[in-house]
Amino acid sequence: MRYEAKKDCGRGAGGKGCMREPIKYVFIWPAFLVVLIIALFPLIYSLVASFQAFRLVPPRPPRYIGFENYGNLITAARFWGAVINTATIVFIAVALQYIIGFAVAVALHAKVPGERLFRVTFLIPMLMSPIAISLIMRMIFNSTIGPVDDLLTFFGLPNLPFLTNPTWAKGVLITVEVWQWTPFVILLILAGLQTLPRDIYEAAEIESATPWQQFWGITFPMLLPISAAVIFIRIIESFKVMDTVFVLTGGGPGTSTETLTLFAYQEGFKKFNIGQTSALSFLFLITVIVFGVVYLALLRPYLERSR
Amino acid sequence: MIIRMGALALCLIWFIFTIFPLYWTLITSFKPPQAVAGGATYIPWVDFTPTLKAYIETATGVRGNFIQPTLHSALIAISATVVSVLFGSMAAYALVRFTFRVRLLSGLAFAVVAIGGYVLLTESFGLSPSAALGAVFLIAVPVSVLLNRLQLPGPVLGNEDVLFWFVSQRMFPPIVAAFALFLFYSELGKEGFKAVDTYFGMVLAYTSFSLPIVIWLMRDFFQSLPLEIEEAAMVDDVPRLRIFFEIVLPMSRAGLIAVSIITAGFVWNEFLFALLLTTSDWQTLPIMLAGQNSVRGDEWWAIAVAAMVALVPMIVLAGLLARLMRSGLVIGGIK
Repeated sequence: MRYEAKKDCGRGAGGKGCMREPIKYVFIWPAFLVVLIIALFPLIYSLVASFQAFRLVPPRPPRYIGFENYGNLITAARFWGAVINTATIVFIAVALQYIIGFAVAVALHAKVPGERLFRVTFLIPMLMSPIAISLIMRMIFNSTIGPVDDLLTFFGLPNLPFLTNPTWAKGVLITVEVWQWTPFVILLILAGLQTLPRDIYEAAEIESATPWQQFWGITFPMLLPISAAVIFIRIIESFKVMDTVFVLTGGGPGTSTETLTLFAYQEGFKKFNIGQTSALSFLFLITVIVFGVVYLALLRPYLERSR
Repeated sequence: MIIRMGALALCLIWFIFTIFPLYWTLITSFKPPQAVAGGATYIPWVDFTPTLKAYIETATGVRGNFIQPTLHSALIAISATVVSVLFGSMAAYALVRFTFRVRLLSGLAFAVVAIGGYVLLTESFGLSPSAALGAVFLIAVPVSVLLNRLQLPGPVLGNEDVLFWFVSQRMFPPIVAAFALFLFYSELGKEGFKAVDTYFGMVLAYTSFSLPIVIWLMRDFFQSLPLEIEEAAMVDDVPRLRIFFEIVLPMSRAGLIAVSIITAGFVWNEFLFALLLTTSDWQTLPIMLAGQNSVRGDEWWAIAVAAMVALVPMIVLAGLLARLMRSGLVIGGIK
């Protein structure tokens, strides 16, 4: 793709080489400037603030304190609690999304009756407002008059404290994540399945390989690259989890379900500790970058082999 | 055969799991109070008598003004979508049809000049943060643009890297950018440019955070377009901007619609930025919804109506998107 694009560019510019075509700047600068000014430039301010003692309430002029904000955070139990909560929710939710999503995608690919209806329905959760969904889930998981409780009573099981017990509350948060984002895995794995060459399966049929063997011998390995990408995107996106926690548990009971984003929000907007919050957001950013680099480095050999 | 039965069963189970919360919202929005307080009820006309009371109460504003946040959300979503799809597809087109060369050193120079200049100006010259940021921006951009012209040593970045620069903004945890933007907007406010809690501030924020995904998706879309028509126009010396707006964009209608739907959905549902960047005047629907939680307690019928207001437009868009995808347009884009 890349080479083609370059060649196109050369031809498109009438052989002059498009390096010196000034019009290209008219095309790219609007987007570039908006992203630079809004997304990137304010980071300078918060980066500098992360090295300052800087509070809005009570107002005091900012003063440089080196790495003190970072040090305070790394030694704070609440910070590590938020890290562990976020990691727990992210990894369990993404693992479930991947397993369920893969299974449903394979099932859909097998041309089940009603496939069209399923496809449309399976797309819907992704576009739903997480806030609205969380409000709905609060009703559904209400431990005295909700439908899930009704189901449990039907089977003769006791009421469960879904949102007031730390473990169950995390379970509910994971359920909401799985509900909302498994469709993303389904969508991309399905796209991957459609690109697989048919003749390999025909060859496997001749060798009389069972469907189980075909799956583990052909389908799964051939979808490894796209799987790696899907899992990567989902993990990076899930790290941001905040809306659902905000509505469903508010981080509670106590701080037992507080995620990193929620913790940062509480620090910044309840305590108005600008320095500390800035430091926290940069620690968060570093975590995501380190994770991304390690993930890609670990997976590279597998991805290259299966290509 | 057993496999197909299993596949169907799996799809059905997932279907029920997906659809149940939406069904529950729909029926709850028609429930009278008794049908909620007494335990779970499922089937209208059998378990309870449906009523429109909750809808009427929401529309007449008995339960807080819903119409205003809804209009705000719609207005912001549409504006941010239009601007980001316009700018984004222009940038995507540039990344497909032209070659960009950015020297790593000039990028680094930008960071050094910007951060160093900011610290220097605020500390030594006592400039306010927003004045310092403005000054630093006006210095750093020309400096790095000029440096890029020189034959500096070091790696040269190409189109793929420019694309990665855009997309990497989306990998940031949004709290990083949102909090920084909140600080930036507050500082602008002190200088007399009100940006927090304004239409302009919200549209700008959402435009910037939608751009990466628009550029990413539209780039793949433009790559699949045939070049012949553009070349024919170029032989006739049609200006590049006219080619883009009069030939390329009309050819890409399906892709533009799909990307617009995705962008509008993102903005309509977005919570964190709205939470940080609005206080009262320009509150969006998700903020209003999150407030329902504490205000309404067990008045589920009211909460369900509120949720319906947020969900129904997106269900309509999802239907549209599904139709586009059936024609194979979006899958190619996402890949």
